[in-house]
Amino acid sequence: MVLLLLLQLIILNHVHVFTYATPVVIAYLTMNFQRGASRVGLLLWGFAIGLLYDVFSNTMGLGMCSATLLAMMQPFLLSLFTPRDAADDMVPSMHSMGAHRYSLYVFFSMLLFHIVFYALDAFTLSNWTLTLIAMGGGGLMAFIIVLFAQIVIPKDD
Amino acid sequence: MRNLIDFIQKNLYWLVFLFLEVVSLISLFKYNSYQGSVYFTTANQMVGGAYRLTSDVSSYLKLGKENAYLEQENEQLRSELLALKKKLRKRQGNSTFVNIQDTMLTDYKFVGAQVISSTLHRTNNLLTIDKGSKDGIRPEMGVVCSQGVVGIVYLTSRNYSIVIPLLNTSSQISCRMKNSQFFGTMQWQRGDPDISYVNDIPRHAKVEVGEIVETNGYSDIFPEGIPIGKVKKVKDSSDGMSYSLEVELFTDFKTLRNVSIITNYTKPERKALEEKADSLMQTVDD
Repeated sequence: MVLLLLLQLIILNHVHVFTYATPVVIAYLTMNFQRGASRVGLLLWGFAIGLLYDVFSNTMGLGMCSATLLAMMQPFLLSLFTPRDAADDMVPSMHSMGAHRYSLYVFFSMLLFHIVFYALDAFTLSNWTLTLIAMGGGGLMAFIIVLFAQIVIPKDD
Repeated sequence: MRNLIDFIQKNLYWLVFLFLEVVSLISLFKYNSYQGSVYFTTANQMVGGAYRLTSDVSSYLKLGKENAYLEQENEQLRSELLALKKKLRKRQGNSTFVNIQDTMLTDYKFVGAQVISSTLHRTNNLLTIDKGSKDGIRPEMGVVCSQGVVGIVYLTSRNYSIVIPLLNTSSQISCRMKNSQFFGTMQWQRGDPDISYVNDIPRHAKVEVGEIVETNGYSDIFPEGIPIGKVKKVKDSSDGMSYSLEVELFTDFKTLRNVSIITNYTKPERKALEEKADSLMQTVDD
């Protein structure tokens, strides 16, 4: 978690895809909760992750609001892409869900997070094309980074 | 009662979710000037008070650097005053010159203010200053500091105003090169808070690195000749038809505290004259 936070703050916060889109990969930390986990716990965890990001990136409220919403939607998103025969306490990963389903899960989670994040950041409908670029670009970039990390970093199990 | 407790227990996560989102939104409005500006127009006293408190503390910490700038500016003004006095004395007999001096002094009135909140790394950065309509500040007035141009007043309430600084993608300030006199429009492109861009400089213009960029006085928001920055790099524009200049801004927005707002009294008169000219031209056309 500390590593991901450092990666986000030191490197990714300075990456501006298509000039406007900055990937916020730290949202990934709210997506790893096992199926059937306590929803209140998940919400508090999401809020804490968002707060941590906001404090270090000077974006008070943006990360908190987006990460809490993602934590609220996580069980729903997970249920959409969980295989029928999956265990009740399945932890979402490429191994447990399969590459195709897991990719879709990560993509829609990241997209949802970046849509809320950049909608609150822009806070206006003027210049909406720039906001759309930021939402799509940031979400896509974060999706690629998470998938890449899942493939490259070896799992213990 | 039991049913109620069961209901709350079952839906506790909804309550927690709503509570956390409300806390997040309050933080968003409180600590972000842009999002807060929406809130600001209706509840300026409360938000302004909070900004003021945090700004009072941080301004003490930055006084050293600010003092150095003020001293430097005082020195420069003193030497300019001496030079002007000398010139005035030489030309005392020439009444036209004295009149021009008078006009220059009375045309623009400055009101001092302090920046109490600002952002640097957003697409739409905004500054909040502690002077408002009560002090004669109105939207579209120019804001400068000892180093150069800061921005244009966007919204005012009774005690506070919001300024669109140069570091805002929707800010456009018409400017010119000090030596070659070619003019263009300055627009920030997000990212580095020290760098902005001047577009539409014709290809035949000879612009050198290090040349000063200053206001050209066309807009009547800023008097001509206020420094904005110096040319850092000369590049081709995306369509290749003109030059795009990378300009290093003189104003250090990271430590900006004291600013002055230019209260321009000639604007209504000039606007009325321009409108009259327009209507006359239409009559001639008809």
